[in-house]
Amino acid sequence: MAVASGSGSVPSIRRRLLLFLLPPLAALMLVGVLVNYGAAMLFVQSAYDQRLGDAAVSLGASVLVVDGRLQAAAAAPTGARHADHLVTLRYAILGPDGAVLAGTPGLPTAPVSLTANPSFADAVVGGERLRVASYRLRTTAGTAVIDVAESAAARAVPARFILAGTWLTDFIQLDVTLFIVWLGVHYGLKPLRALRAQIEAGSARELKPLDVTAVPAEVAPLVAALNMLFDILAEAARSQRRFVADTAHQLRTPIAGLLGNLELLMQEPSAAGLQPRLQGLHEGMSRLAHSANQLLALARADPSASLTVQFEEVDLRLLAGRVVERNFDRAAKAGLDLGADAAAAAVRGAPRLLEDLLGNLVDNALSYTSRGGSVTVRSGFSGGRAFLEVEDDGPGIPEGERLKVRERFYRLPGSGGHGCGLGLAIVEEIARAHGAQLYIESGAAGRGTRARVSFALTA
Amino acid sequence: MRILVVEDDELVADALTIGLGRAGFAVDRSASAEAAAAALSAEHFDLAVVDVGLPRADGLSLVRQLRGRGVTLPVLILTARDTLAVRVEALDLGADDFLQKPFAQEELVARCRALIRRANLHASGELVLGRLRIDVPGRSLAIDGQAVTLTGREWAVLECLALHAGRVVSKERLQQAIAGFEQVLTPNAVEVYVSRLRGKLAEAAAIHTVRGLGYRLDEGAA
Repeated sequence: MAVASGSGSVPSIRRRLLLFLLPPLAALMLVGVLVNYGAAMLFVQSAYDQRLGDAAVSLGASVLVVDGRLQAAAAAPTGARHADHLVTLRYAILGPDGAVLAGTPGLPTAPVSLTANPSFADAVVGGERLRVASYRLRTTAGTAVIDVAESAAARAVPARFILAGTWLTDFIQLDVTLFIVWLGVHYGLKPLRALRAQIEAGSARELKPLDVTAVPAEVAPLVAALNMLFDILAEAARSQRRFVADTAHQLRTPIAGLLGNLELLMQEPSAAGLQPRLQGLHEGMSRLAHSANQLLALARADPSASLTVQFEEVDLRLLAGRVVERNFDRAAKAGLDLGADAAAAAVRGAPRLLEDLLGNLVDNALSYTSRGGSVTVRSGFSGGRAFLEVEDDGPGIPEGERLKVRERFYRLPGSGGHGCGLGLAIVEEIARAHGAQLYIESGAAGRGTRARVSFALTA
Repeated sequence: MRILVVEDDELVADALTIGLGRAGFAVDRSASAEAAAAALSAEHFDLAVVDVGLPRADGLSLVRQLRGRGVTLPVLILTARDTLAVRVEALDLGADDFLQKPFAQEELVARCRALIRRANLHASGELVLGRLRIDVPGRSLAIDGQAVTLTGREWAVLECLALHAGRVVSKERLQQAIAGFEQVLTPNAVEVYVSRLRGKLAEAAAIHTVRGLGYRLDEGAA
């Protein structure tokens, strides 16, 4: 019996962890991008501003004082002085009264700054965004203002580049982090997978205690609780088995006494006239004995008692031989040809229960096959699975009834005899306890019944 | 032949005593292991039929005690408990056979006869099976007192079957028994000798063929 697989606990913890980590990590990534971008852009800004400011300062050399008035040098270029090829600078030199001494009129002026000269400002002129550096030059004829401006778009290129780069690295970082977390969880949960394998490997019927030392501290209390539960179940099963054994004794001894004395009574010459009545009594007692045995067998096979029963290597061929030998005389008396066709096969199982199983199948075949028929017990391997099988050429079980006959106390309509209807229920229960399957089919040539118990594939 | 029945349940003890009595045995009974131990040390018995469920000390402890004292008396264990463990324990302790309650009278009688027969064989080398008298070391067979001649191979088959009378002997086992006499065996060799033996034994004994398993020798109808 396998523990339910599919969405087991292992993937779910992993998913939970990943879902838990994803938002904060994504948020961190976002913040990281912003911070990195902001820091990088600050640096870029200051570098560009520095250059702009230097251009403004160097233009100061073109300011002359002539006759107490400010003048810009004659051939002041309208183009850039220290421009680089990518950027076009515009400049304007203003006198103390604001008059344009040279350059492009209409350029904005950055406000005075207490800490820096030149000072800087952003401005919009004619729909275009500009960065302006304004240098204030003190002269004997007053303060001249030199404005140098460049398009803000010039800074966009490095800005985009930096932004893209930051996004990329942070995104890769996020993915790698998540991957490492995924790997880490996978590795961390390995002991749980081993635990799960341990549970699934040990037959659910055997309830072997789990190894507490092999699991991490967080799961150890869970495993300890499971082991305690196993103990309780095992003890309950042991106690049930004891009860069944005691019941067996309490039932069988009185029945043996009654049957024995009845048989002796029937042999008394003085009982000659009472034979039919005594015969009836004997049949009733035999039926009672049979029912008691079947009920005890069912109780033994029931999980409440069969849990944790010791499994051993059982030689199916020897088992088949024993059961045939045990039933040979009964078969001979009923005029039936009982034989074996047993190939070597072995399974792990409970010997007593498997004897009950095969015994019941043979019992059915002998009870319902009429004089002159034959019953064969087989063992062997088929398709990698060990099997036990009983085939007879009796009346057979109609297809529609093949499921119902396995129910407790169900007997085929019209079947005479003394059965109590538990035989196949017992077989089913024992098969289940061994992880085996009972198949009921027609016998050879479509006649009779072939009941086969197929055991699980050996791992 | 004297049998001691050790059983505390009145009804079962009655059935055992009367049943075995009718089968020709002289039967005494005890209702406890202690009483049985006393009876066994005081008198000679050929077989003890011991129920496991006795009042104080159980039947198994009685067997243990007997074997501990070196008593080789054959013991048949009766029990209502059917765990394989009890069966194995009983045989391990030295019981010779095991019968579960409730049982048929004939089964009980047949088992008792088989046990006594085995004990006699160990003692005297002679096996008595109804009308058959087999002298094992002497390798001779008598039916109703009349000697019957058997060939070497027929004897090998008979000996093997008779030593396990009432139990199935596999074809392989019989083949091994014959093999000493002949290098090459036809596959049907066992069949042939069994059928010859059947002819010579006639009604005195029955050799049943158990299909797929082997053969079984039983006493003939009385």
